[in-house]
Amino acid sequence: MNTILIELKNVSKSFYPPLAWRKILSFNFKNTPVCALENINLSLPGKSIIGVLGTNGAGKTTLLKIISTLILPDTGTVKINKYSTEHDDQKIKSIIGLVTTEERDFYWRLNGRQNLDFFSTMYGLNKKQAEGRINKLFKVFGVDYQDKRFDSYSTGMKRKFSLIRALLHNPGILLFDEPTKSLDYNTSLELLKYITILKQQGKTILFATHNITEAEQICDRFLVLNRGRILGFGTKEELGKRIHSDSATLTEIYLKLTGK
Amino acid sequence: MRKIYALLKKDFLIEASYKIAFIFNIFSVAASVLTYFFIDKLFGHRITAHLEEFGVNYFSYVLLSMAFFSYIGVGIGSFSSRIRSEQLQGTLESLLLTPTNVAIILLGMGLWNLIFATLDVLIYIALGIFLFGIDFSNFNILSTIVILVLTVISFSSLGILSASCIIILKKGNPVSWVINTFEGLLGGVYFPIAVLPAALQSVAKCLPITYAIRGIQLAVYKGYSLGQLRLEWGFLLVFCLVLIPTSLYSFTFALKKARRQGSLIQY
Repeated sequence: MNTILIELKNVSKSFYPPLAWRKILSFNFKNTPVCALENINLSLPGKSIIGVLGTNGAGKTTLLKIISTLILPDTGTVKINKYSTEHDDQKIKSIIGLVTTEERDFYWRLNGRQNLDFFSTMYGLNKKQAEGRINKLFKVFGVDYQDKRFDSYSTGMKRKFSLIRALLHNPGILLFDEPTKSLDYNTSLELLKYITILKQQGKTILFATHNITEAEQICDRFLVLNRGRILGFGTKEELGKRIHSDSATLTEIYLKLTGK
Repeated sequence: MRKIYALLKKDFLIEASYKIAFIFNIFSVAASVLTYFFIDKLFGHRITAHLEEFGVNYFSYVLLSMAFFSYIGVGIGSFSSRIRSEQLQGTLESLLLTPTNVAIILLGMGLWNLIFATLDVLIYIALGIFLFGIDFSNFNILSTIVILVLTVISFSSLGILSASCIIILKKGNPVSWVINTFEGLLGGVYFPIAVLPAALQSVAKCLPITYAIRGIQLAVYKGYSLGQLRLEWGFLLVFCLVLIPTSLYSFTFALKKARRQGSLIQY
């Protein structure tokens, strides 16, 4: 998995908000786009945890969704392990896993086990493989609450299921979009511990967060985004040099780079 | 195959978790059958002349049309309603994150509704035979199957077109609106198209439902062979050949447009 590399070249993405009735009724169809990412050029190395830092609206989620093939960029190319997100999305989907804070992306009328059985098949695992994989992941994440309906689970448990689903097909790349959001302190620590274990297993991890302390705990490199632009990318030391300070904390570096 | 089975099993488990809805569905079918039974009592004799070629009374005609319309409704509505439901539940994105071909997802989504519609059809037929003594003994099995399969395919293609609109527009689906509004009126579901004025009959002849309903009525009640129904299955085949590639292309296009807009999970 060492060779896995995520490459973005000249990637830009804008979104068009829906037209207001006032504009439609006055035949004014001009729509101002909101820029989510602007001319992003990046080469991300494998076997590391990359913290994607930025405030709300910085472009973190858009970046992860573009890498996961759910969104196509307006301009530029994205290649994952040499596969293009536009043309080889099926191949990419089999080597990535996305963990979001979206609780509704499971079938709430089914129980946890039924949900994972379903997604295992959709990820191409046969019954035996799925059973072995799910049982193993249940053990790792300490899940013993699999036969209750999904809507009865706590937020922490739902997040664990989200992580287990992302790992079902043993992907080389994992994308985490604010995984500790609305989790209590203990569960957050537990989750961060699992993410570190995943790195030790050779996974490439993108960890989007606006919690700089968490990122500093587990990430090797940091990508600082602001209003869709890259303000810095590198290790803490490399970023420190950019602000001419060898001893700056990550928070200080972040604040300096974002001009706060 | 395993992925289609998984989609089917998932839909079955979700449907089975709504136990009361299943029982209500049986009562709904029975209530609609009874409604048309009494309409037949009141007005049925007035259109008997128009039904001569089918050799049945109004109630028998409408019962079979409605049973058959369940399949057509599934074809039209199942894909867009499944997509809409996955959008609203928030599961569409996680489904599309799996390395699964879009055609397989569509097939899996449509299949459960097809099985459910078959259940509806069986209830209609059982009520017709055991409660109202309708005679189905003349039916030609081969013609019925051919008309049925071609109908399901052509209307499923229309359904996929409709699902493409849902992917982009989310709500306010023009394809579904046109089909639902005009198919019942012009397609001969509730009355034979011979009742309509000449101008509307010409429009009706451009719709697949007209050939589907007429074909199934003649195959079931008159036992017509495929040779006798060549016009009906021929037109349905043409509809299939045009609509299958059009609908698959439109769905792929819609999905790509939604990925470009970043609107896959919006509803």
